[in-house]
Amino acid sequence: MNRLRIFLSSAVFSFRAQFSWLNPSMWLTMKFVLSLSQMAFFVFVGLFIKGPDAIPFIAVGNALQSLSWNTVFSVINITGHDKWDGTLQLVLATPASRLPLFIGRAMIHVLDGLLSVAISFFFAAFIFGVNFGQTNALALTVAVVLTSFTMSGFGLLIGGFSFHFRNPLVFANIFTFILLIFCGINFPVQDLPPQIQPASYIFPLTYGVTAARNAIAGATLIDISPILGQQLAVGLVSIMLGYFFFQAFERSARKSGKIEEL
Amino acid sequence: MAMLHWVADPQWVIPNIIAPFIFTTVALTLFKDSTGPFGLYAVLGGGMMGMWGNTLYSSGYAIEFEKWQGTLEEVLVAPSKLLHVIAGRAVSNAVFGLTNMVAVLLVAAFAFRVSLGIADLFLFTVSLILTLLSVSALGLIFASAFVLSRSAQALTNGLETPLYIVSGSMFPIALLPFWVHPVAYVLGPTWGVDAIRLATSSDYASQTFWVGMNVNVAIILDLTVMLIITLAYAVIAAVLFKVVEKRARIKGTLVEA
Repeated sequence: MNRLRIFLSSAVFSFRAQFSWLNPSMWLTMKFVLSLSQMAFFVFVGLFIKGPDAIPFIAVGNALQSLSWNTVFSVINITGHDKWDGTLQLVLATPASRLPLFIGRAMIHVLDGLLSVAISFFFAAFIFGVNFGQTNALALTVAVVLTSFTMSGFGLLIGGFSFHFRNPLVFANIFTFILLIFCGINFPVQDLPPQIQPASYIFPLTYGVTAARNAIAGATLIDISPILGQQLAVGLVSIMLGYFFFQAFERSARKSGKIEEL
Repeated sequence: MAMLHWVADPQWVIPNIIAPFIFTTVALTLFKDSTGPFGLYAVLGGGMMGMWGNTLYSSGYAIEFEKWQGTLEEVLVAPSKLLHVIAGRAVSNAVFGLTNMVAVLLVAAFAFRVSLGIADLFLFTVSLILTLLSVSALGLIFASAFVLSRSAQALTNGLETPLYIVSGSMFPIALLPFWVHPVAYVLGPTWGVDAIRLATSSDYASQTFWVGMNVNVAIILDLTVMLIITLAYAVIAAVLFKVVEKRARIKGTLVEA
């Protein structure tokens, strides 16, 4: 019961903390502007280079990628804000169980990510004319929810790793944007040089985008379950590795006494 | 001072140039099997986006950095005008944004085998420098507006990609809906990037705003329009800074805002 309380309070506080620098109306504006502008940019680039046939692929890819602003960028930045706001000592001094504390930090961002995808799908359908007529709603919903959850696991992995560095914002930027190259967002993974294609499969988003595209084309939940299984496995491994980094940081910080400077 | 800040803490370069660099790499990958002047758009557009990104970012943070360092009061009471201090930074940051152009050129040349010769080096250099000044002047307007908002960082993130779209950095403005065109035309860099592309390759002559004209005349027209817009930016920024500074001194809220 106590672990559940820690999990929930960690989830709520980490989400509320971002409003120390972002007011709610701006948060809402960002949600709409960021999703639309990134999708529009790549749709127009695709339209220019490949023609109108490229639009659905790019619009759906960017709709899914929009959740990484919440599940990767925001989750990694929790680490940075703990350092900048001077709350990291308090987090480490508390006797609270570390696992629910660590995982809880990402959980509201999972829901926030789902909202981002919903808004982006709306843009894809009504502004860029993507046809959702064949969509298997159940399969798409499960694919999106799982993508948001597993990507927050990836955010926790990089967040846990970036505890060891002075400025986690750098990692937040790098790992939010490189998804655009590796995850099949704007072009198929097969278009990448063969040597770097395996790297695509360490990102849960790669599986999520494929599953979502299949669901929009009419594939059932059973059809896409092998992809979702792989995605879940990658997401869980990310969380475990992130937790390992977090614990390693805590040990090192306690030993060296350098908490915010690291 | 801005340059010294980058040297002292170079990790801040990454958030500034990562988006334009990745966006350009994606464009180059999309362009891989296509023919036409796409490489020109991707590489030069990537450089422009680097300037945009860095200037916008540094404008958003120009005052924030002073607040964090606790030096804002000193800057305000110094006899130098705040506008001049921030203007120096805006130019310096736009120059730093050009690092993205170098990175993009290297990636384009070695990873994507895009070869880009510059047709007229003199006009290319002049166009680039004037565009850089235009981006900096626009950055000053943003900086003054951001002073009044607690959400400068959010505004910076929110404005970055719309500016890349509207200025036609990666694709012709003609692809955009008609109602967006007037916004594109009041952005100085829209004209600057047209001049830069013209100075780089004659392949672009069929897509410039001045189709059918002599290339050199078209470049001069582009630069003239951009200079007029840039002067307007400078005047607007000077007025805005005066208003913002006065308001901050009266209300005493600049440091806490």
